[in-house]
Amino acid sequence: MSSFPDPIREGLKRGWTVLGGPHGALPARIDCDVAIVGSGAGAGVTAELLTKAGLRVVLVEEGPLRSSSDFKQLESVAYPDLYQESAGRKTKDKGITILQGRCVGGSTTVNWTSSFRTPGDTLQHWRSQFGLDSYSHEQLGPYFAQAEKRLGIAPWTLAPNENNEALRRGATRINVSSAVIPRNVKGCANLGSCGMGCPTNAKQSMLVTTIPAALNAGAQLLVETRAERFELADQQVSGLLVRPVSANGTPVGSTSTRIVAKHYVLAAGAINSPAVLMRSKAPDPHGRLGTRTFLHPVVMSAGVMPHKVEGWQGAPQTVYSDHFLGTQAIDGPMGYKLEAPPIHPVIFASTLPGYGKAQAELLGQLPNAQVLLALLRDGFHAESTGGKVSLRKDGTPLLDYPLNRFVMEGARRALLSMAEIQFAAGARQVLPVHETAKPYASWAEAQKGIAELPMQPLLTRVVSAHVMGGCGMGGTAALGVTRPDGQHWQLANLSVHDGSLFPTSIGANPQLSIYGTVNRLAQGLAKRLTGRDVTLA
Amino acid sequence: MSLAGLAVAQWDSPLSHGRLSESSRAIFRSVGGAILDGCIPVAAQARAAALDGMVRRVEVLISGLPGATQDELAELLSIVSLTVGRVAVFGLFTPFKDASVAQLQDHLQAMRTSSLGLRQQVYHAFREIVNGAYFADDSSWALMGYGGPVKL
Repeated sequence: MSSFPDPIREGLKRGWTVLGGPHGALPARIDCDVAIVGSGAGAGVTAELLTKAGLRVVLVEEGPLRSSSDFKQLESVAYPDLYQESAGRKTKDKGITILQGRCVGGSTTVNWTSSFRTPGDTLQHWRSQFGLDSYSHEQLGPYFAQAEKRLGIAPWTLAPNENNEALRRGATRINVSSAVIPRNVKGCANLGSCGMGCPTNAKQSMLVTTIPAALNAGAQLLVETRAERFELADQQVSGLLVRPVSANGTPVGSTSTRIVAKHYVLAAGAINSPAVLMRSKAPDPHGRLGTRTFLHPVVMSAGVMPHKVEGWQGAPQTVYSDHFLGTQAIDGPMGYKLEAPPIHPVIFASTLPGYGKAQAELLGQLPNAQVLLALLRDGFHAESTGGKVSLRKDGTPLLDYPLNRFVMEGARRALLSMAEIQFAAGARQVLPVHETAKPYASWAEAQKGIAELPMQPLLTRVVSAHVMGGCGMGGTAALGVTRPDGQHWQLANLSVHDGSLFPTSIGANPQLSIYGTVNRLAQGLAKRLTGRDVTLA
Repeated sequence: MSLAGLAVAQWDSPLSHGRLSESSRAIFRSVGGAILDGCIPVAAQARAAALDGMVRRVEVLISGLPGATQDELAELLSIVSLTVGRVAVFGLFTPFKDASVAQLQDHLQAMRTSSLGLRQQVYHAFREIVNGAYFADDSSWALMGYGGPVKL
């Protein structure tokens, strides 16, 4: 039994208003000032600010309410409980596996805590290509600073674990720059189990920060409840229909609850937010809804060190390199960010290629395995248009993200860079995560081998943990689904406040980009609805 | 994956409320045995117990998947439970229960690098489900030198 306090269970005992699932049935109708769909990065920040402004807020979350007492550091528990589609969400051709949260706190409950401000060249691209004139570091800076203060975001000060230290060491030896990752933690115990929910509440996710603040201020939280669709009338949202779902997302019963609000905020995350609008038959005169959905497609390289790495221990991502984001223009061949992920049994066994005795041999090397990943920066080049969300027959979303030649050319360069760094760090062998690759024993051998790999989907292992876009902002209605202030271009009382707003990928782990952007949007919305000034920090 | 081109009569539901039919369990036991060979015990009794445990956990894993994914999987299992489907997808003329590990591994290798996306998808689906179910259990961790979560 953990001796750590559980602020969620304590809040429930104090009388927080939580309904859905085991917390009680929903009434037929709920009236409030603002209905927020989702409870992740965008929803949490919005809920805290709007309740501070005195508004009556209802949050609708499809996943369950779990908290530190439930977080057992077990993949078998965490994946089905806390992730979309049991951590097995796939793109249409199954070429990419997507890790995305589905629980109170959304992906912030299960992410690896990396916190970067939106890079300046990304914002520059948004200003020049999407008419987002107010998206500059000067104007967003104060909002990032507030989010950083509120969520304890600061560069990691303890020594990196060996998985991350190897990235720093190898990069330095080949004159590639690297730096320490800022993390949203307070009193982190350096366990390494961030991806399974933080059992000590050190991670300053929405689950333990903004959502409790909103609930303490009187917000209502509906869990295990899916936002089916908005009712639309006269270019306005007139209601939100929600219904209970079971643990795997299957609707329970046939009755819906109607939520009637003055304003509606959609923050269900990329893929899901456009899907809610599609189910609602929201106007989309320029055919942009669900398009330009970006993933930071990730390729990986597994090295074997002569010594123990034990990549399951210690803070999961603490060192990064942006060197290869800057070796070409942002709208040129794809750049990539390098990081070192946590390594646990299921994710390791599912990600590495092969079967039978070859697989057994690879898996037996887990303690000495050093894994790097490359996040490919998508959405900046004419040949990188990302994916498109559509609806299945049952109304659930499906993302079609073709891994074209342009993306895969970047993937090949990324595999080369990672192998070079791993050999420089002392790896005795390196395996690019690809179905036809063999473990290479030297950098020269890897160079030749990787150059010859067929870079095709389903042969090259590609994953994603960053879903962005689909309700992109634009300075004109023709350029976006949403306005620069987050409001839907065609529906006056609907705003989108999540990563689906981004017109390209970020080029960095996106959580702080969502916090900072939404912090500004939600403060603006609070002012518009109440005339009051509120701030996060 | 799109399996629409293969018309299949589903007289024996391969998957119902997260429970696999006996024929589907047999498919997972055979294919899983080939995928996990080298990770699971060699001795017959211990091997059978490991595979039975894996199949039980496959059912738990599947029951957590969304309805659309379960439907897709049920369709796949329906197809490969028929001789024509097994031959078309796995390239396997021998029934799953009679196929040797080496035979199954040859076919898995052909699927893995097939020029047909569908065959690759099926390879990955089986591999991911089998590995996800097997390595989620602490009995499998010794092979990997993983001692489990930090005690708090």
